[in-house]
Amino acid sequence: MPIKEKGYTHWEGELKKSRYPWIPITRKGIKLAFKKKFFKFTFFLTLIPAIVYLAGIYISERLEDFAFLVENSKSVSFLKINPGYFNSYFTQDFLLFMIVVVLVFCGAGLISDDLRYNSLQLYFSRPITKKDYFLGKASVIAFFLFILTLIPGIIFMLMKIIFSGNLRFISDYPWLILSVIGYSFFITGFFAFYTLFVSSVNKNRRYVSILMFGIFIFSDILYGIFKGIFESEYFSLLSIKANIKQVGAAFFGQKLPHNVPWIYSFLVLLFICALAGFVLNKKVRGVEVAQ
Amino acid sequence: MKAVIMTEKLSKWYGNILGLSDVTLDIEAGITGLLGPNGAGKSTFLKLVTGQIKANIGSVRINGEEVRNNHRLFSKIGFCPESDSFYEEMTGWEFVTGLLKLHGLSSSEREKKALKALGIVDLEKNKDRRIKTYSRGMRQRLKFAQAIAHEPEILILDEPLNGLDPLGRRKLIRLIKSLRDEGKTVIVSSHVLPEIEAMTNDIILIHQGKIFAQGDIHYIRDLIDAHPHMISVKCSDPRKVASRFIKEDFILNIDFSSEKDTFVVKTNNRDEFFSRLPRIFIEENIDVKEITSPDDNLQAVFDYLIGE
Amino acid sequence: MKKKNTEKDGSFLSSFKNVFSFFFLLGRKSKKTKVFYILSFIPVIMALIVKFGQVFASRSSLTGIYVFSNFIMTFYLQFIILILALFFGTSVCSEELEGRTLPYLTTRPVSKASFILGKYAAYTLLIVAMTVVGVILCFFILNFDQLGDLSLYKILFRDTAVLVLGLVCYTSLFTFIGTFIKRSIMFGLIFSFGWENVIQYFPGSTQRFAIVHYLKSMLPSPSSGRFSFLLFRLEPTPPFLAVIILILITAAFLGLACAVFNFKEYILEE
Repeated sequence: MPIKEKGYTHWEGELKKSRYPWIPITRKGIKLAFKKKFFKFTFFLTLIPAIVYLAGIYISERLEDFAFLVENSKSVSFLKINPGYFNSYFTQDFLLFMIVVVLVFCGAGLISDDLRYNSLQLYFSRPITKKDYFLGKASVIAFFLFILTLIPGIIFMLMKIIFSGNLRFISDYPWLILSVIGYSFFITGFFAFYTLFVSSVNKNRRYVSILMFGIFIFSDILYGIFKGIFESEYFSLLSIKANIKQVGAAFFGQKLPHNVPWIYSFLVLLFICALAGFVLNKKVRGVEVAQ
Repeated sequence: MKAVIMTEKLSKWYGNILGLSDVTLDIEAGITGLLGPNGAGKSTFLKLVTGQIKANIGSVRINGEEVRNNHRLFSKIGFCPESDSFYEEMTGWEFVTGLLKLHGLSSSEREKKALKALGIVDLEKNKDRRIKTYSRGMRQRLKFAQAIAHEPEILILDEPLNGLDPLGRRKLIRLIKSLRDEGKTVIVSSHVLPEIEAMTNDIILIHQGKIFAQGDIHYIRDLIDAHPHMISVKCSDPRKVASRFIKEDFILNIDFSSEKDTFVVKTNNRDEFFSRLPRIFIEENIDVKEITSPDDNLQAVFDYLIGE
Repeated sequence: MKKKNTEKDGSFLSSFKNVFSFFFLLGRKSKKTKVFYILSFIPVIMALIVKFGQVFASRSSLTGIYVFSNFIMTFYLQFIILILALFFGTSVCSEELEGRTLPYLTTRPVSKASFILGKYAAYTLLIVAMTVVGVILCFFILNFDQLGDLSLYKILFRDTAVLVLGLVCYTSLFTFIGTFIKRSIMFGLIFSFGWENVIQYFPGSTQRFAIVHYLKSMLPSPSSGRFSFLLFRLEPTPPFLAVIILILITAAFLGLACAVFNFKEYILEE
């Protein structure tokens, strides 16, 4: 008497490969972030600088109406809409701090939750590759960071043109759009690597959250202490925040905040990305899909 | 016999979801099986009995005392939770002795009791290994060990046989029965009828948060047996086999429509059907491919009992 | 005999002691504790670097005690004790919920208050040990050429006491938050690195709404120097009053944590 086979059914159909198999991972990650309590509020808070800077662009075109606000020359110089204005938005402390907060919300659990619930096997038992998996997860971070960097940057430019009623701004700074795009992609790429790397370190999301925040703050404290004692600007290379500011200033053609070649900062951030990529590749292992 | 655990009009809901509704029960010493499909409310009932969650309506009393926030009562209770969760960094030994410490036992008492409990579940050889290195079966046994280590009078076991191999299952069943023989009160939950059947005759049927049958398992069995069973037989000559049954009173219906080499029989006496079947196969020289019972599961019984 | 045992089980102090020793052992064995030990030793490595820099490269004219005080202010007070208190404080309750181990504890003959206080005490002792060992090592490394100066030990004692008080107080706050809010770590991070940092720069009474204000009130405020910006606009509370307030804050948060844990119903995620 044959024994009834209780194994898997072998599907004989044709396997159609999706062009973007990572999209469902991204969609799910974004949905999950918005489901979290207080996330919407936090995210809105993070957009406040963009709103303020947008108001600044409006005021800059109607200085005569806002004369009572801009009596001193310092305020007027702040309201000069030039690459420096963009740089000050993109590299301000509050925005960088809030970016890390948003990343803790939306990124801490991206890989650590998969490790905790052993769901990597579930991902890799489907027709997706490791690359798709990382792309899907990184796109969640890109989605939120583009809303905070690329989109405000483009909106600032558009609004400047609309409010001024001419294209002089574009002709004055034709390369600015490339700076906005380049910097946004760079910072998004860096934070994507950073977040996924820390998220892959442990199964406990609380631990990952503290680590994500801690490394960012700690690197800056380290810089402060060493600079205070040894009086060397080169210690800014220890700080993630200082390096981002250096690279930002280079992208927007501004005076560097630290007296260190910006390329060093760029290389430090690239090194962190490379290290993160290496660790991620080691950490994320599932059952590889047999094609 | 005096009831050890008494619940009165016990109701619990999670937001809009009903967990348990109007449960009034008296549970006496011995083994009581709590039987119901997944999501029926078994764990909710056990969590209420152990005071982990509070009832929206009603009360739970153990030996006449309220349970919730009455921590002294827990020296008499042993609880084996359903979830596979542990302090993974600890060894099995540290886990059991550590939890015994919370009972205020002296160091020598702790060691004696822990050794005994780990011995009962065959973990004494692996007691110094970290829990995270344990297999699923070992983890399940360790969970049981911590529940019995302080020698409680009342044992509450939430799906204790999950993850055990047949041998481990049989051993644990024997162990639970021995606890009953010592006069302890044991509540065991499961969604598998034969598991409960192997341990006790006293069962509580729970479904959709309500208790809708309580008592002797034979009564439930009779109900189940009275419910027409569907049996599917796949063989080399289905019509020949079916023809041998057609005149029998216990056969209610025979259907050939599913597959060419299969017939599905509907009977109200499953045991009689199965006792005759092998002889027919032999006499008629039939090649049997498969015998299955499409509705032989707890959900079908419940559906029948609640009239769906 | 049996009756005597039951009475012993129920006593608050014996329950507290038992919970404490259970979690002290668990905490010591945890991998995460080891990682945090390493973190708390980073200032020691930095102290070594600074001292080597001073001795061999003659790079800085700053005195050892000045550097030590600034280590305390920037590293310990504004970073390490916050991170340690946040992780271990929220762990008191959240760890049991995330790991779904709570039923093992709530079905034992120990009161919920003794569970919270016992685990709090165990974890606080662990992080106090981590911090104090690091601080003492930093002190000896940075001042190894002045170890005969007894006045320096007074500074070491004062700074260590401030850090211990900080750990005790912050951990109680985060213990309470852990029992109360599911996403306690997020709240804790924003409180620690947002609120506590921003509020101290506000003048008047506003800064009294931060725990760090009372801790800094017990430390001397340098009127000038490279690190003075860290104490910008500090309007200190008298040290004795600051200690009393910190103790009261600790007691209040621990009381609240016990009350919440007693009455709140924790539904474990399946």
